[in-house]
Amino acid sequence: MKYSIAILSLCAFPALANVEITGSVEAKCVIQTTKSGSYGNPIASKLSTTPADGGVLPVMRYDVSIADAYIASITHPTSFSSSPSLTDTVAWTGSTSVTQTSVAGMSAYEAAKTVVGNTTNFNLTLAGSTWFSTASSAVYGSAKPLPGGNYTAIVQASCIAK
Amino acid sequence: MTPAYPEVKVSHVKNVIKVEMSLFNSREEIKYYQIDLFDLNWMNIPFSTTYRIMKVEYKEHKAFDVYIRKRDMPEAVYLCTTSKVRKTDQSRTLISSRICSRLDGEPA
Repeated sequence: MKYSIAILSLCAFPALANVEITGSVEAKCVIQTTKSGSYGNPIASKLSTTPADGGVLPVMRYDVSIADAYIASITHPTSFSSSPSLTDTVAWTGSTSVTQTSVAGMSAYEAAKTVVGNTTNFNLTLAGSTWFSTASSAVYGSAKPLPGGNYTAIVQASCIAK
Repeated sequence: MTPAYPEVKVSHVKNVIKVEMSLFNSREEIKYYQIDLFDLNWMNIPFSTTYRIMKVEYKEHKAFDVYIRKRDMPEAVYLCTTSKVRKTDQSRTLISSRICSRLDGEPA
């Protein structure tokens, strides 16, 4: 009996099964904030995100998984979302640029960008990550000093499927 | 993050189409996202969903369904999720991110 149990245990194989792991890569876009922007106040009538003016440029990272599936559309502000009460007009300027890329070929995005009003469009023709920064400047009417307080403006960063 | 070309299905309601969507929040400073539906000219199109503004924690994945009338489907193009930014007490720029899926199919 002992011998037959020993022989049977030698013949027993562990139960094995192959479990597959499957996955698919779909066209997806992720936008992340790499750096929050802040306004510097170089002169009494001006707020600017430009580092030379004491500001910080906001930086956004776009990650796309599939090439040529999305357009990055970034709109710089033309009004404050919150501010002290303002009695005069504000002159807004702004621009958006490519600051860093994960693939060398993406450096062509900057030359190929299109600007419509205050919106800059980039055709994301390659898969990978692209960093964009947006400069924003607001000058208060007739060079008046801006009232004291906190000022907030919104950059709209969109990733639109083609 | 949402899929570029979401799956469009028939719903359990007659003449209503269901779009299955998923949203992943990759922004730590954002907790709420708004859902909008637009035509090719970015005009709003009526739709229904459980929450138009929904809470999605950082690194959380949330699935949701959007219901669109069958007669509105030929016009419906962009289904977008837009991050809602919080008021701040500093002089700064805030970044509102919007990801738009296309309902009229993949480009040829």
